[in-house]
Amino acid sequence: MSIDHQHRILAHTRSVCPVCLKALAAVRRQEGEAVFLIKNCPEHGEFRTCIWRGSIPMPSWQRPKKPSAPLAPVVVTEKGCPFDCGLCSAHGQHTCTALLEITARCNLRCQLCFADAGSGAGQDPGLDRLAVLYDEIMRAGGPCNIQLSGGEPTMRDDLAEIIRLGRSKGFPFIQLNTNGIRLGSDPSYALSLQEAGLASVFLQFDGISDDVHEAIRGRALALIKEQAIVHCGVAGLGVVLVPTIIPGVNTDQIGDIVRYGLRFSPVVRGVHFQPVSYFGRYPSPPRDQDRITLPEIMEQLARQCEGEIRTDHFAPPACEHALCSFHANYLLQPDGSLRALGAGGQACCHPSDAGAPSPTAMEGRDKSVSFTARQWAAPVVCDAPENSAAPEDELDIFLRRAQTHRFSISGMAFQDAWNLDLERLQGCCIHVMSPAGKLIPFCAYNFTSSEGGSLYRMAEAP
Amino acid sequence: MSTFSFISPTTWRCAPCNGELQPEKVNVSYMGSIFTVELMVCPSCGFVLIPEDLALGKMHAVEQLLEDK
Repeated sequence: MSIDHQHRILAHTRSVCPVCLKALAAVRRQEGEAVFLIKNCPEHGEFRTCIWRGSIPMPSWQRPKKPSAPLAPVVVTEKGCPFDCGLCSAHGQHTCTALLEITARCNLRCQLCFADAGSGAGQDPGLDRLAVLYDEIMRAGGPCNIQLSGGEPTMRDDLAEIIRLGRSKGFPFIQLNTNGIRLGSDPSYALSLQEAGLASVFLQFDGISDDVHEAIRGRALALIKEQAIVHCGVAGLGVVLVPTIIPGVNTDQIGDIVRYGLRFSPVVRGVHFQPVSYFGRYPSPPRDQDRITLPEIMEQLARQCEGEIRTDHFAPPACEHALCSFHANYLLQPDGSLRALGAGGQACCHPSDAGAPSPTAMEGRDKSVSFTARQWAAPVVCDAPENSAAPEDELDIFLRRAQTHRFSISGMAFQDAWNLDLERLQGCCIHVMSPAGKLIPFCAYNFTSSEGGSLYRMAEAP
Repeated sequence: MSTFSFISPTTWRCAPCNGELQPEKVNVSYMGSIFTVELMVCPSCGFVLIPEDLALGKMHAVEQLLEDK
């Protein structure tokens, strides 16, 4: 008797039908080097979506944590996940980053947009309403990190006031999610935001050449992105490059993007890759070859940065569900080489560590909040020691360099209606503050049916 | 350039050998990173003295930087 390990069910979970959004049982099934999420809707049939592909086995990518329910659940669990978001008491992770969408307006028309921005943009929430939403984030999630998002947040001329308001409400780390057009066009703009209390810029950055920007964003943006980085550096803002990776469009620039970021270290603090997700109307399911999974991005990083980056440098996350992300930290050394910090996946809980107690989700969340704030902001350089004539040892040299030139490489896979895994959703730590004042897990807020229908975005009245 | 500034005469002695400690280059490693520093070491058994201010100061700072988030 033998077991075929090439085809086996790795886990039972739940998902939704991409057509009618009804909740369904689902499995993660290993088939050779790929893992598929498979679900069957009685009305709309079977859906199979590749969710993991490559040489890093999904069963090895674990980081167990004890779920930790919201401190102040806003919604009573009635219909079951994902229909009670707000958050409900069944959610397993606290807010690490709260997104505040301050406008639906945008100065780009990207085909792929989480926020469906620009189309029928309504009125922006006023400062009074944003004050209420900040308060609600603080009440529900505590002093988490804030990301101002949209739309394109720089469309608002009162952005500095919105940042100042957030800081006055007690949020220590505020990041701006932007395409960089205004930051690049106006040399004094970055400084005005920094003076208001902004720490970091999450810069949409899909590639190093204009053909990539034109393919994804419809405009040549390479020059303006670089100007944005330079202006942020002058203003003392940290920058994170955020590429959306699309098969056949920019997968061959994964290594180039890292090298580009390193050229601008320490202004650029890291690169955060996001595999493409499919939102909006899709009459037929996106093909598996139109997706790239996290292990494939890690493999491309190793292949395109050969000798500097290895797949075993990467570790699953302490905060969100293990299958949602990877990360590694490096020291950019004076000779331009990269030195991996930490022990990569070895540092994390492996199945062999089964005897050790799992940390709570709250512990992982706290680590992530402070790490993100430290790593993604501009470096804080301590004064030179009083006796600067004292010889430096290797620990001193390392500490001094690491203050400024630590560089993070990470990736996060968002979920759409086809690959949505409710176990992952319940471990989500990135929450959108909805106009109605509820914290909704990012993917629950953004996923749409194949007809473009949404559970939460535009579905609730403030 | 010296590799370590913490070598200094100490009243500590090696308990098993009762010997005086002497400065020596030592490799300290943590989570895959290795640093060569000079520390006070027992020449007979290799016992290494790590002063409290080093353990709670620079070493702790380095550990924090290396630790995974």
